[in-house]
Amino acid sequence: MRLPAFLRRSVSRKVTALVLTTTLAALFVTAFALVTYTVRDYRRTKVTDMRTQAEILGRASAPALAFDDRKEAARDLAMLEARPDIGRAALYAPDGALFAVWARDTDTASMPSRVPEPGLRIDGDRLDLVYPLVDDGQRLGTVVLQARYGLRDRLLAYVVILAAVMAMALLAALLLSAWLQRAVTTPIQGVADAARSVVARRDFSVRAGRTTEDEIGMLADAMNHMLADLEREIRERRDAEEALRIVDRRKDEFLATLAHELRNPLAPIRNALYLMQAPGSDARIAAEARAIIDRQVRQMVRLVDDLLEVSRITTGNLALRRERVDVRAVASAAIEAVEPLLRDRGHRFTVDLPPAGRTIDADPTRLAQVFLNLLNNAAKFTPSGGRIDFSVEVKDGEMIGRVRDDGIGIAADMLDPIFEMFTQADRTLERTTSGLGVGLSLSRRLIELHGGRLEAHSDGPGKGSEFIVRIPAMPFPAPRTSAWAQEALGRSTTFRERDPAHFHASGPEAKSRVLVVDDNRDFADTLARMLRSLGHEVRVEYDGLAGLAASRTFRPDIAFLDIGMPGLNGYDLARRLRAFPSTSGIVLIAVTGWGKSDDRERSRQAGFDEHVVKPLEIERLQSILGRIG
Amino acid sequence: MRAAAGPARPRRRRVEPVLLRLLAAGGLALLVPQVAQAQLAHEVKGAYLFKFLSYVEWPDDVLGGPHAPLVIGVLGDEEVRGALQEIVQGRQAQGRPVEVRRLKSGDAGDGLHMIFAGRDSVQELGRYAGRRGLLLVGDSDDGLARGAMINLVLAENRVRFEVAPEPAERAGLHISSRMLALAQVVRPGAS
Repeated sequence: MRLPAFLRRSVSRKVTALVLTTTLAALFVTAFALVTYTVRDYRRTKVTDMRTQAEILGRASAPALAFDDRKEAARDLAMLEARPDIGRAALYAPDGALFAVWARDTDTASMPSRVPEPGLRIDGDRLDLVYPLVDDGQRLGTVVLQARYGLRDRLLAYVVILAAVMAMALLAALLLSAWLQRAVTTPIQGVADAARSVVARRDFSVRAGRTTEDEIGMLADAMNHMLADLEREIRERRDAEEALRIVDRRKDEFLATLAHELRNPLAPIRNALYLMQAPGSDARIAAEARAIIDRQVRQMVRLVDDLLEVSRITTGNLALRRERVDVRAVASAAIEAVEPLLRDRGHRFTVDLPPAGRTIDADPTRLAQVFLNLLNNAAKFTPSGGRIDFSVEVKDGEMIGRVRDDGIGIAADMLDPIFEMFTQADRTLERTTSGLGVGLSLSRRLIELHGGRLEAHSDGPGKGSEFIVRIPAMPFPAPRTSAWAQEALGRSTTFRERDPAHFHASGPEAKSRVLVVDDNRDFADTLARMLRSLGHEVRVEYDGLAGLAASRTFRPDIAFLDIGMPGLNGYDLARRLRAFPSTSGIVLIAVTGWGKSDDRERSRQAGFDEHVVKPLEIERLQSILGRIG
Repeated sequence: MRAAAGPARPRRRRVEPVLLRLLAAGGLALLVPQVAQAQLAHEVKGAYLFKFLSYVEWPDDVLGGPHAPLVIGVLGDEEVRGALQEIVQGRQAQGRPVEVRRLKSGDAGDGLHMIFAGRDSVQELGRYAGRRGLLLVGDSDDGLARGAMINLVLAENRVRFEVAPEPAERAGLHISSRMLALAQVVRPGAS
């Protein structure tokens, strides 16, 4: 049912309309029933009354009729003066002749001279009764009465009364519903107000008041729950967005830093190259230049290694290779690595290590990496000639390592953020230190993987700082190892054992036939030169198809294949070599810039024996060839 | 009545029967001779005699059993007796059949409830005066004086009656006040 607009807007009006409509309908039904009953009852009463009147009149007039006394009959009729509703009356003799007549308005002419048909006729407001008088089976005569029916007046009075009753009933219903509907509409109003203010002000902390235990109360509860959920989710989303924004900003900063750090070593390398090519360059200058280039390239490699570590941490692919390690040995390895830097910067360095034989369950490489990182930081962030203390102890089932310096220190509000990825305490362009801002983050994650903690303490800027490593010394469950743990040690992966006979035939000293396929000519040529310097017979091709052709004629023992190549990529080339009987036995080594785990997986599936990430240094090349041997 | 109050069309429809009736009544009146008028007076008198039975109460002991007839004796006026004889045929008064007998002068009148004496026999009523349960009706100007309790008279060309309740009471009869109201003269009695 479609309600008028002014009703559709408000529940309160709807309830009022409902009550009034219902009341009105009930009243109308009642009124109809009453009127119907009244009409019937009035007719019955009236007819009975008129018949009685006619009977009485007839009996009174019977002697007059019997003895033909018209005067007496007229007197009898005149008694009807007392009945205001009867207007005219007549008596007819038994033979049907008009005997006597009476009329209130003295108009007696309208009475028929012969007796009409007996019976009752109601015509509008007029009632005619023709009533035969019978006594002892004899017809004494006939009484005719003309009366006002009076139903109209009665009905009019009734309608007036009903209208008054209806008006009062409606008024009462209105007042009653106004009082009752507050119980319904007030709670609804509360919910509606809450909803409106939520929509209008987008304020999700608004709550609807719960005033009733009925469905509306449940509605209010449901809405409050939804609002609470919404509020929490919006807050979480806002927090997540804020966190994402911060991460994004850090990444931008990191990329800028990365570009800067990668570019830094390039300038000295170019300078060194220039010096080597310059006329008058002698062997001493060349040796210096080579040293510069070597140092700078190592720096770049370290940066890229850090990046790879970040990638592993971010993707959750970093796993530990745990074993029983001697704490003193691990610490000593880290000290050994950092000593040149400490010496360079003229720091005073004290060490307090436990005696050999104190062991814990840990990944020695990672643990050493953490110590080295902390010591490096201490050396970097302490002005020359500072003091650095390094102590490690194992007690109460815990290994505690401390690196303390009297360097630039850390502001209290930076104690936590320095562990965040890509964060550096010093963001100024003039900063004296370099790095990608991943070291501490990496270290903390590594220690956490060990089930331990890495904490930073400082009394403030300029007051030095202390980093404390805590690792439980309890025996750990069986160490979990993975390809990645091995990779962390060796940076290369052996997928399967080769037929020993095959390799023994070409030991480290043996001369092998080596095929190099890479579209980077510089890399291919330098690799070939290195291999030749090691005494191997080498053939170089610059694309996949040429490499495939060469493999048939050259029949290599080992093939270094690039992955991304025009014509035929490294994966497909490997598959074809494996599929062809004469080349299926070649040791295949993937040499690529891609070092993620799924790249390695794809290499393994394509049939490679090894997956090596560029750059390929001569030492690593030797180690790989040695391992194969 | 209905024709007068009703709408135009029904009235027109009723014109024909009314005319027919008027014509029939007029024709009948022309045919009725003087004899018929005299006959009419006898019949009216007979009818009155019969109707008197309804307005008079007899003592229970003279009425006999519940279905015993009311007996009317007629002295002299043979025309009235004949008319009455016809009227009472198959009719009842006070729930009883009615019998009509011809009385001769000097009849004892036992078992009668009413005696009607014609104009020429009114003097005979005196013999029956005081008889318990016997209503005496006369038909002469001095009927009441001669002992009649009800006396028929002619007034304004109509048959009327006079009543003397006292002698009736003495005979144990009660004449209805409704009848008394219609009487020309109500006399205390002539004895």
